[in-house]
Amino acid sequence: MTTPNRSFLRDNPSVLWFMGLLGLFTVIVTILSEGMGAGVMSTNMVKILGMTLCLCLIAIAMDVVWGYCGILSLGHFAFFGLGGYAIGMWLMYARTEIVIRDNLAQGAIPATETEVAEAVASQIFGVVGSSDLPLIWTFAGSLPAQLALVVLVPGLLALVFGWLAFRSRVTGVYLSILTQAMTLALSLYLFQNDTGLRGNNGLSGLQNIPGALDVPQAVISVWFFWASALALGLGYVLFAWVVSGKFGSVIRAIRDNEARVRFLGYNVEAYKLFVFTITAVVAGIAGALYYPQAGIINPAQIAPIASIYLAVWVAIGGRGRLYGAVIGAAFVSLLSSWLTGGGAPNIELGPLRIIWTDWWLVLLGLGFVAVTLFFPKGIGGLFDYLVRRQP
Amino acid sequence: MTLLEVSGVSVTFDGFRAINNLSIAIGEPELRAVIGPNGAGKTTFMDIVTGKTRPDTGRVLWGELSTDLVKLSESQIAKAGIGRKFQKPTVFEDQTVSANLSMALKNKRGPFAVLSWKATAADKARIVELAEEVGLADRLDHRAGDLSHGQKQWLEIGMLLAQDPRLLLVDEPAAGMTPAEREHTTDLLKRAAQTRAVVVIEHDMEFIRRLDCRVTVLHEGSVLAEGSLDHVTKNQQVIDVYLGR
Amino acid sequence: MTCARAPTFCPFLKDRWMLRYLRAFALLWPLLVGPAMAQEPSATLLQDVLQSVQADVASPSRSTVPVVLRALLTADAPGTVDFLRAWSDREVYERPGDGLFFYAAPAAGELTLIDIDSGAEIATVGTRDVNQIRPNAGVRREIGAALVAFELTHPDPDRRIAALDAAARSPDPEQIAAIRAARATEADPAIAVRMDRLIALLVARFDPDSTTRIAAIEALRGDVSTPARSVLNQLLQTRADFAPTLPADVNVAVVKTPGDQITLAAAYDVLVSAGLAPAAPGRNAIRDVLRANVTAGAVGGVPVHQLNTDANRIIAYQALQDAGTVSPLVTEADMAEAVAQYVFFDVYLEPDSAVTDAARAAQDSTTTKVALFQFLSLSFDALSLASIFFLAAIGLAITFGVMRVINMAHGEFIMMGAYTGYVVQTVIPDYTASLAVALPLAFAVTFLAGVVMERLVIRHLYTRPLETLLATFGISIALQQLAKNIFGTQARPVTAPDWLAGAIQINDLVSVAAVRVGIFIMAALFLLLLLYILNRTRLGLEVRAVTQNPGMAASMGINPDRINMLTFGLGSGIAGVAGVAIGLVAQVTSEMGANYIVQSFMTVVVGGVGSVFGTLAGAALIGSLQKGIEWFNPANTLAAQTYMVLFIILFIQFRPKGIVALKGRAAGD
Repeated sequence: MTTPNRSFLRDNPSVLWFMGLLGLFTVIVTILSEGMGAGVMSTNMVKILGMTLCLCLIAIAMDVVWGYCGILSLGHFAFFGLGGYAIGMWLMYARTEIVIRDNLAQGAIPATETEVAEAVASQIFGVVGSSDLPLIWTFAGSLPAQLALVVLVPGLLALVFGWLAFRSRVTGVYLSILTQAMTLALSLYLFQNDTGLRGNNGLSGLQNIPGALDVPQAVISVWFFWASALALGLGYVLFAWVVSGKFGSVIRAIRDNEARVRFLGYNVEAYKLFVFTITAVVAGIAGALYYPQAGIINPAQIAPIASIYLAVWVAIGGRGRLYGAVIGAAFVSLLSSWLTGGGAPNIELGPLRIIWTDWWLVLLGLGFVAVTLFFPKGIGGLFDYLVRRQP
Repeated sequence: MTLLEVSGVSVTFDGFRAINNLSIAIGEPELRAVIGPNGAGKTTFMDIVTGKTRPDTGRVLWGELSTDLVKLSESQIAKAGIGRKFQKPTVFEDQTVSANLSMALKNKRGPFAVLSWKATAADKARIVELAEEVGLADRLDHRAGDLSHGQKQWLEIGMLLAQDPRLLLVDEPAAGMTPAEREHTTDLLKRAAQTRAVVVIEHDMEFIRRLDCRVTVLHEGSVLAEGSLDHVTKNQQVIDVYLGR
Repeated sequence: MTCARAPTFCPFLKDRWMLRYLRAFALLWPLLVGPAMAQEPSATLLQDVLQSVQADVASPSRSTVPVVLRALLTADAPGTVDFLRAWSDREVYERPGDGLFFYAAPAAGELTLIDIDSGAEIATVGTRDVNQIRPNAGVRREIGAALVAFELTHPDPDRRIAALDAAARSPDPEQIAAIRAARATEADPAIAVRMDRLIALLVARFDPDSTTRIAAIEALRGDVSTPARSVLNQLLQTRADFAPTLPADVNVAVVKTPGDQITLAAAYDVLVSAGLAPAAPGRNAIRDVLRANVTAGAVGGVPVHQLNTDANRIIAYQALQDAGTVSPLVTEADMAEAVAQYVFFDVYLEPDSAVTDAARAAQDSTTTKVALFQFLSLSFDALSLASIFFLAAIGLAITFGVMRVINMAHGEFIMMGAYTGYVVQTVIPDYTASLAVALPLAFAVTFLAGVVMERLVIRHLYTRPLETLLATFGISIALQQLAKNIFGTQARPVTAPDWLAGAIQINDLVSVAAVRVGIFIMAALFLLLLLYILNRTRLGLEVRAVTQNPGMAASMGINPDRINMLTFGLGSGIAGVAGVAIGLVAQVTSEMGANYIVQSFMTVVVGGVGSVFGTLAGAALIGSLQKGIEWFNPANTLAAQTYMVLFIILFIQFRPKGIVALKGRAAGD
């Protein structure tokens, strides 16, 4: 696979294909959208598709860390959520501040900054019975600071956690359990009212973008679709580059035989830490794009189960190939929202009635077992098989 | 000149003393064969030198600066110039022969250096050269997993040479090879030993005889005898141990 | 008796207290002989008895109440107690026409009269057509004392205990005499002890003689029961007060220095609310004043648009203050000066300082003992939690240890066991019998499920441990949803039989639910059973062989397939039994497995893989850790779990292979 010094794109034909298809898809969605085009596609649909692109982005991050480097992380959705929280804090704070300033401007004398800050705090935190702005909201009014936090919070958490875990040579299922524990700890922490992120209420109203409050959601949805598509495209190129060269060789070697790689003189822990952290950062960015489209984020979405679903998508799509992760995430998450959203007709079997909302998870669970048992390479493996047969 | 000095090393697994006050010195250049019955501690000796197993007591001193290897991690020891070939061939089967060799090449090992690494003309020439040396020149683009058992052994020896180590630790290199392949392997090792230290663990006396080098006999975790093959095979203790008398 | 009604003729009754005492006794004496009469139902109608003392019932006063009571008690008509209670609660009405008494129920602005004897509804009248009888507070106390006395000598011991408990809940000096009188005739030694205790508590609190009280208080030293501690607390109740100088005639608990025991602002607020100092305008008050004083786009010479900082606002306010239009600002120095004029202190409600000192000393000595018992109680909680974790995790530890397989569906096996318990209870109504059936049945059901899963799925994935984790996770989602489809989202109970339903009360601080003791015993039995199976049976030998070296075991003629299947079945079966046990203490829902799975993993990881004792140690550590953290922060169990997980992540740093680690080559990599 790796004959050095061939061009990156020639080595990775899937990148060109992928970028082409993604571009085409973006154009089609734009043309059909309510906000920019013919209005055939509802704003809600544009949002769902935009969110799906974000899920594809975190799925390729998961694929790199699991499919390529062999670390079955059950914590990447926590990083996704942290990115969402970081941007959500700004969205919520800035929008509340605008509303509060408008209100206070009605008074006979102008408001002081303290009064504004207090009013914003009691507006946001009244729901958890507090009126003080927690320390972690110090920079919530500044977009650049919160954008930096989108990258820094997941990145640092992954760095510290990864350093601790890899240093003590925790591998395999142990590591998976440990990442799951980390995710659980984080979601339980966020569930508390006194954590400063509004407990189980989460952050809401994130679809309203401060500075663009007059712009209709139909248009904003297309903006976010573009941003998500751009992020997915860049993420795909980045990871394709990371996994294609000698670095890719080393991390796949780590996946297959970690001890042997050590005897070649590579510091396995540093590589794992690098991959774990960079994928966590990408997950954070994906989350920061996802939640403004979803409109609400709460701790339940960070629960360990979400990270496991992420692994399910990647496994069904096919590990060790980036497009496999994209296929898996898009296919399973869209199918899931179609079937559980009541979009699919129920099946009448004589006296029995198959209601999709009830049976979809049973089907997914068993289907997943079947994929693991019989198609370990997933849908992507099928793809490879067809492509290889052609020439 | 002494390159590696193992002195007074002991290690215990759950009460079983696998290595007992072992002391061995290897010079540079030198070819050394280590023999001994099963359970004598041959592989554990390599594990200790390469950092896989930490000894309970004793020191493993390395090179001109007499660095204590006991304190270093596996990858640091490898970078210091010790290469190891395992008993069971362990190559990365999912990747091509050239990717396997390229990973082993003596280049910077840090993640950022590797991320921005581009093969130079010299690197490419070295890969081809190594492939020719181990007889895999026409299989560079094949998956390592598709190679035969003997070819995997050679690929691993090639990877070992690509690391350009000062000390090679080779565990049963001839296992599962045809007589012709064995001869080739012997040549390779002897040639390597002209410029560096090579330690070979082997059961096959014929193979050892062909290596024509100093032999260390291990028994129950310590050195039983040392000298030329003829010398040690005449040693009564060695005969007893090997023949079970 | 005579004295009670005509105290002036009794020269030895100097003390009002003594008077009350005697009066209560006078009321009691018919009661003391009452029980004997109460054996035979009396045909006397209550209404007739009441009519015999009509005037005294209709307009009761403290001097006439004993007359009524005596009449009632002598007659012993049915419903006397109910009448006394209603009378005291102002629920008795008199019909002016014939002077008859009725109970009444309000009905749409009117009253429905109810016959006192038959309970039948007689008529509906306007509220003005009848007189509500309103005994005053003194009369009500008398009635209450009579009621207590009546109950305290009731032939049914349960009634007597209930009366004692009621008296302890609302202590009252009047009760002392009644309880002493009842104590004199009490035959049941257990109840007599309780009466003595209650008398001691009442004396400690209400006795007029301070030496007697102090002696009683001394006797409460180290008594950790709730009533004893609440007596001490009540004796030590304080109220905040202040004065120019510390008064000599009050029992001062503590002097509060402003800025130390009380903040300056709080002390100043006390003065403000007492009208001794002018209110300090706060930020909001300043803003409101400024708003009200905007003239020509400026306030006090400061343009309105500049009033967006606190500094400018104060400048504007001072300008207004100088003009004399608003109340002055109060600075920190002003506050300090005002506060310095006074002493702030807490004063005991109890005026006698000897009593409060004794109470304080007694309370201090009780506190240590209370802490000790609280720790004991916490330890029981931790032990109970540890038993649950052990039961939930041991199956997982066995399968993980022997087969290196993480079974993510383990939690769903727990759920399956719990639902088995629920279903069995719906079929067999007797709780004891259903529990006896449910335990083995849950084991069988989950054993079978485990074996089927091992045969169909896990067997094919032995070389791919991470994929086992995922495949079993798939099974877990499917099982969870399946349970939801079958049983719905509503929580189902597994009810404990009566003999397991109560609590074992050691004292007021330490009590353990019997069901938790049961679970502890069950966990201990399973521990012994597993140790027996693993160490003393052929199966155990083979399991240990496969754990340590599967390849070698296979070449020794052990069939690893069979061992794996049985091990997996055993691990799953224990999960099922654990499920029934957990169902007894928690609700059974389709998601209950998920709540235990992570904790179970943690237990296994912390304890060390493949060791029964390791799991035991892990469960003990995690159980006590969780309870310990909860104790530090009792309001927040979520925080406890968060910190626990963090602790475990750090723990793994120092002991990556758990508390009980296998060593050597067998441990592998």
